[in-house]
Formats: sequence, C-alpha cells, structure tokens
Amino acid sequence: MSEEIKEKEIKVDDIRKEAENQKKCPVEKALFYTQEFLAGPMCGRCFPCSFGTYETQIRLKKIIEGNATDQDLATVKKIAEQMAIGSLCKKGKDTAKFILEWIDTGAFGEHVIEGRCPDQECPGYFEYRIVPEKCIMCGDCLNVCRFNAIFGDKKKPYLSGYLPFEIRQKRCTKCGECVPNVCPTDAIVIVEVKPKILEPAPV
Amino acid sequence: MANMVNLTIDGIKVQAPEGTNLVDAAALNGIHIPNLCYLKGIKAVGACRLCLVEVSGQKAPVIACITRVKEGMEVNTKTERVLDLRKFVIDLIVSMHPLDCMTCTKAGVCNLQEYAYDFDIKQSSFERKSFGYAPDTSNPLLKRDPEYCILCGRCVRICRQQDTNVLDFMGRGVGSKVVTAMEKPLQESGCTFCGSCLDVCPVNALVEADRSRKGREWEYDKVPSVCLLCGNSCDIIVSSKDGMVVKVNSDGEEGSSERYICAYGRFGFDCLIADTRVTTPMKKVDGKLVETTWEEAVVIAAKELKKAGAKAGFISTAGITNEDAYALNKLATSIVKTKNVDTTASLYGDKATLLSAKADIDFADMFVVVDLDPCQWKRVLPALDAVIRKKVNAGAKLVTINAGETGLGKVATVDLVGDAAEQLKSFVKGLLDKGLTGDAALADAVKGATVSEEMEKAAALFAAAKNPVVFTSPAMYPASANIALLKGSVVSVPVESNAKGVMLIGLAPNKGKGYKEMATGATSLLYAVGEVPISERPKVDFLIVQNSHLTELAKQADLVLPSAAFLEDDGSIVDYLGNLKFICQAVEPPGDAMAHRDIFAAIARAMGAKIEEADEAELEKLVKYDVKVSLSPFARKEGFDVNVNELIENINASVMNGSRLFWLKQTEKAMV
Repeated sequence: MSEEIKEKEIKVDDIRKEAENQKKCPVEKALFYTQEFLAGPMCGRCFPCSFGTYETQIRLKKIIEGNATDQDLATVKKIAEQMAIGSLCKKGKDTAKFILEWIDTGAFGEHVIEGRCPDQECPGYFEYRIVPEKCIMCGDCLNVCRFNAIFGDKKKPYLSGYLPFEIRQKRCTKCGECVPNVCPTDAIVIVEVKPKILEPAPV
Repeated sequence: MANMVNLTIDGIKVQAPEGTNLVDAAALNGIHIPNLCYLKGIKAVGACRLCLVEVSGQKAPVIACITRVKEGMEVNTKTERVLDLRKFVIDLIVSMHPLDCMTCTKAGVCNLQEYAYDFDIKQSSFERKSFGYAPDTSNPLLKRDPEYCILCGRCVRICRQQDTNVLDFMGRGVGSKVVTAMEKPLQESGCTFCGSCLDVCPVNALVEADRSRKGREWEYDKVPSVCLLCGNSCDIIVSSKDGMVVKVNSDGEEGSSERYICAYGRFGFDCLIADTRVTTPMKKVDGKLVETTWEEAVVIAAKELKKAGAKAGFISTAGITNEDAYALNKLATSIVKTKNVDTTASLYGDKATLLSAKADIDFADMFVVVDLDPCQWKRVLPALDAVIRKKVNAGAKLVTINAGETGLGKVATVDLVGDAAEQLKSFVKGLLDKGLTGDAALADAVKGATVSEEMEKAAALFAAAKNPVVFTSPAMYPASANIALLKGSVVSVPVESNAKGVMLIGLAPNKGKGYKEMATGATSLLYAVGEVPISERPKVDFLIVQNSHLTELAKQADLVLPSAAFLEDDGSIVDYLGNLKFICQAVEPPGDAMAHRDIFAAIARAMGAKIEEADEAELEKLVKYDVKVSLSPFARKEGFDVNVNELIENINASVMNGSRLFWLKQTEKAMV
C-alpha cells in the first residue's frame, strides 16, 4: 500500500516519449497521449485543460475511426491553441504544445482530407482481406482471431466443395494478430480504403 | 482605510484599495469581469479561466481573481485573445450542460446563461456530453442535480470554509461530480441544510427542492429584511410572488463573513401558511375556542385589562420589533398601569448584561468565545458559529473559554476548559503580564490567579492581535467585559433577535413581577405576546395570547388575538452587535391577522386612550446607547442559567412544526 502511494508522479514528457515509442501515426500518438494524460497527471482544476483534453480525445477517436471532417481537425487545433493560452499550469500548456506539434506533421490533414493513414495504424483507413485465390482453408487464422471475425470452415482432406475464408469487416478490430507469420500462403493482405464519410455522395 | 491604488481598466482610470484583486477592483468601478468559480471573501482558485485579462507589460494573460492591483497597472478585459478564450470555455461548459433554459428554475440569474448570451452560443460546437447522474431529491429542502453542475467548485469551497465539509469532488475533469461522503443523501452526511451552497451555485445544480415552476427570479418581489428566529438576526432577502413567500436568501455584504443564514431562516417561512395559523380572533365559550370579530375581541380584552389593572401581567418574547415593544410598553405602563412587564430575555440576561459595546467583526483577526457553545449542527446561534469558523479558516485566531468541551473548541487555536470565571481571571492576568495596561484596579482584582502555559499562549495571541473581539454569554458578560478595559471589544450574545432592543425600550420588570413569576401565575391576568415558551396555562383568571400560530398555550387561552408573523410586518431591531437593523414587510398577514402594535393600539382605543405611534427619530434615539465598561468581579451572574438549545427550539416551535423543518427535525432525531 505504502509503495503505491509513493509511486512517482507520471510526467507529461514521459507519456509523450511512450507515445512516440508505441505508435507510428501522429494521430494515434496524440490519442494515446490524451488518454494517458486524462487517466494520469491531469488534475482537473482548470476548465480549458480538463474539458479541452476530453473534447480533443473525442475528436481524435473520430479521426482514427475515419468519421472525421475537416471541422473536427479545425476543432482539435483550436482547442490546443486556446489551451496553450488558458491553462493554469505547465501540464496543460505542454499538452497543447505536443498536440500542436503532432498536428504540424501534416498527418492529421492526410487523414481527414485525403482519407488515408500513411502509417497504416488508424483502423478507419484500411481493411484486412483474404485473397481467395491464395487461401488454402487451413484454419490457422481461425485459431488466432480473438474476435471470431474470420468466417469459413476448415478444410478436411477427405471432403471437397469448400469456400475460401472471409473476414467480416464489422467484427474485425484490426488488431493485426492474423498477419505476421500466421497464414502459410500470405493470403491475408492489408488494403487501404477510404472512409465512408469521404466518399462522394451518390448522384 | 486601506491605501488606494491607481490603475486603468479598459481605458478608464480607476482607484481600488490596496490588496484587492482585479475582479473586485473592476466590480468596485462598475466593470464586470466574467467569472464562474470566484467567490468574494474566499481564496480564489482560478479554475474557470473566464476572468483572464491582459495586463500591459505581461506577455501572457493573467487571471483577474488572483492578480492583485498594482500602482499604474493597465488592464484590458476585452482583448480579442481573452474574449476568444472565454468563448471557448463557455462553449466547452455548454457542451456538458442541459440546454433547457425554457424550463430551468435559475433562468435569469444563471451565470452560464448570461455568458452564453454574451457570446451568442446557442448550442455548443463541441460534442454533447451527458453522464446521466441522478439528482438527489431525497430531502424536501435542497435539490442537487449533477447534470446541471459545471464543476466550478463554489459549493465545495463555501462548505469547507464554514467547516461543514459535506461536499467534495469525486473524480476530476469531465465526468466528475460533486458528492457527499460515500454518496449518501445529504441528511445522512452531516449536512446542516444551511443552504450556503445554494446561494453560491451559478447554475441550476443546487436549488430549493420546491422551486420548480414556482416562478422565476424576475417575477419575484424582493425585499431586504432580517431573520428574527434567533439571536444572530442575520440579514436576509425575501422573495415573494403573488403575496406568498417563495424563498429566502442570505443577504449581507457580498464577501463578508456574515453572509450566512441557517435552515431556520431559509426554510422556516413555510410556517406562514401552516395549518396552525390563527387568522381570526378567538374567544373561549364553554371551554371551546370559537371565532369572533376584532370589535368584540378588542372590547373583551379592554374590559378584562381594565378589571385587572395593576394586577395584569404582560410577557412577550424578545423577538418582537422595537416598534411593537414600544407600543406594548406604552399599553402596559401608561394605559393599563401595571408594572408587571417582562420578556423572555430576562431568562438569560438583563439590561446590565445584555447591552454591550458595538463591535465590527469583519475586521476582527482574533476571537475569544466565553461560555458560549454556538453550533451549526444543533442550530444554536448557527450564524455565529459559521462566522467564527469562516474567519478561523481565513487565518483568524480563536480562543475558547468554556466549562465543558464545545464544538468550536475543536477548531480553536487555544481551547481552555474549566470554570469560566476563574479562566477569565487568569486570562486577564496573562494579558497584564504581557504588558497590556488599563484600569489600575484590575491588577488587584486578578491577584493570585495562576497563568498556565496554555493561558499564556492565549494571552500572547490576544496581545498580538490587531482587532480582537470577545463573544460572551450574558451571564458571563460582566466578568468578560474586564478584558475590554485592556483591549478589544466584548459582545454579549443574546438568544433572541431583539433582546437588546426590548431592554433599551424598557420592557423589563420595573419593580413589578418578572417572567418566571408570571409564568407560574402571579398575576390575575396574563397577556402573552408572541411564541412565549410556556406550555401549561398559569393560574390566572384570564389569559390572552397574541400570536401568529395556535400554540399549546393559545389553545388554553380565553382570548386569542391573531398577530402578524415575521416577514409580515416591518420595523427595526437591535442586533447582537448593537447595530440598528430594519425589517421590511415581505407579504401581507393572512386573514384578520394584524401587526402587534396595531392590536395594542386598538385595545388602547377601546380603553379610551391612545398610543402614539413611535416616530422613527424617537425610536432611534431610544435604541442609541453607549456602554461604559467598568471593573466588575470575576464571577458568573446568577439566575441566567437557561438551556439555550431548548429555548431556541421552544420560541421557534411553531416555525419548526409548521414547515419543512419538521421533516428535518424528525430525520435528525431518527439519525441519532
């Protein structure tokens, strides 16, 4: 118990370093950072920082899921700018600075306007698919998938008439477990898709 | 008077006292700096960031609630940068606040509404957030609705400031909530229901539980008045609509420590429309009270008073106004010609012990409390308790001198327990040892007193204090007043609101029979005015009770005269600090009820005499007094031992039983 109390206060710089290490995409980094910040060192004393970071987190999730518009991007930017001025302490000001830095990398714009995640990390911008020609219905991927997103019957050698496996996109969480060294024929591929929100409306 | 500092706010040259912050300085000069978390008189936290202003020479904006004025400062409250930020913060708050201003009780006085209007925020540009917290509606007094809460923390801080410590934050940031310990209902968490939180809440998160659809602020008629239910006589603002009192709020100068009222003052007004209210005169026919007319009732009263003559007795509560007391005194002494006039004030004091020098507690930096046990929880002089605790939390020193342990003793810098008279003696000795000088005879009087280590500490504090104030019970006043010979002011604290006033007007036995004798039936006729704490009919031939409610005593009376209750009459009183306070009438008395003094005048007319209504100047002259403190023995004055707790409950019995306070009383009883 006493050790828990003595636990060192987490610093915002440390969270940023961790975010840099764990994630590649700046949007993912920002989300990781805000989530950790809200769970840890955010004291909640002043409104711009505590409410602003929360709102930023909501908007970042939208971007990552591919549901964001350029308005969301503008909001994130505005919040960070206001937080930089209005926050009570350095923690809030630093948070705003970090988010602004990540926005400056240009990746945010790429997500929202061009509809692609250059680091292929944000789940809203790509899909896992199985190439039917390559699939041998061995069932290895079935065993790995924790979310039962892969659909199909394992082939038994004495039977015929099997269909190749499919990934149900609604169930797929894009965790990536099925890709490295699972499929013996490399049938699972990552395909970039444009978020629905960016598709032109049907005429 | 503090030094004035010159500065410029928004291009206007203004002056403000040294040491004030920018919000107050601007407010003094008619400029409003928006804020949601700032509370005058309590240490600012700078949470809401709405009060950001730009000061020339400083790169970043500063928060006005914490920044103090400086000579030559140039402040700009409306630059684009800070306006943008204010709009941003309001926008964020609106995103977590219900948008139902059309049915909201606080519409019109809601700070958030005001600022949203200023910035033209119809709805938030941010994601709508709602956490579905249930409101606490488990009591009929205060309603807490976390859905409306904007987390400004004003309620938490005011609760902490007056040491009730009921509310605190759970969690932080978005989704946090103001809760009681273990999220229990208020009545189970030590809440005194004083409602201070309710006065400071900027939004609809804390309101009176019954306010929904009872009209909104702009529909109310508001009058400043004074609460008459106990000796603290707190300033109040009474809001009424269509002749009915809707709510009572604390008044008093903003930010002053006296801005407090307790549950009695805030919720007791329900009793004005209680079932026990008497609205017509009643006379006893064959052992039963039947309604009658004023003409008849006045004739009966006049006849009986004439018959009794010098054997008539008048007793009153000390909670009546100066005007009423004046008329009563005239009726008794010059028309009925009796010497038997007394008030409940003589249960705990007399003219010599009640009248103390005036004091100002707003500038006091040290308190000594002698033989008093004010308590917010038991509602014994709760305002005094709150004022002292607020001051102590703001850095004032406190010494308590009492026979037993008291609530205030626990927060005191030095708590002295023991015989109060002996303690005072050694306290004065300690003061003399510290080099204070005064009456030469004082040194002789305290000869032989021992000064303990604790006592020396207390004396050192007193000697170092700039503006010490001593509060004492009337019984200990003569002994305590000796301190004033050396330093500071000594205040005798009565139990009832106008005890000092009735003494000054002369409602005291003048060689006649006193309260205690009359209460057991020493006179042939007894005329009881107000909520006199007697429940058994004394052995008298005729009993007249003049009260607003049908009390136990009134049920046994031969004649009941309906009088106006508090808030239904105007007048003036002399409060415990010796200030003359004016009461304004908020609503008309119901039915045939009349003000006390009008009833006295009617009876006088029926007796063929006339009571001249006291004119204001004459009354003011009457209640003006000067106290010269002289050396008195260090001893308790005998005959004034009264259970203060019981007395306050008894004189307010009708108020408590006829209002929401009854629920509170029952609940508190059940909790113990």
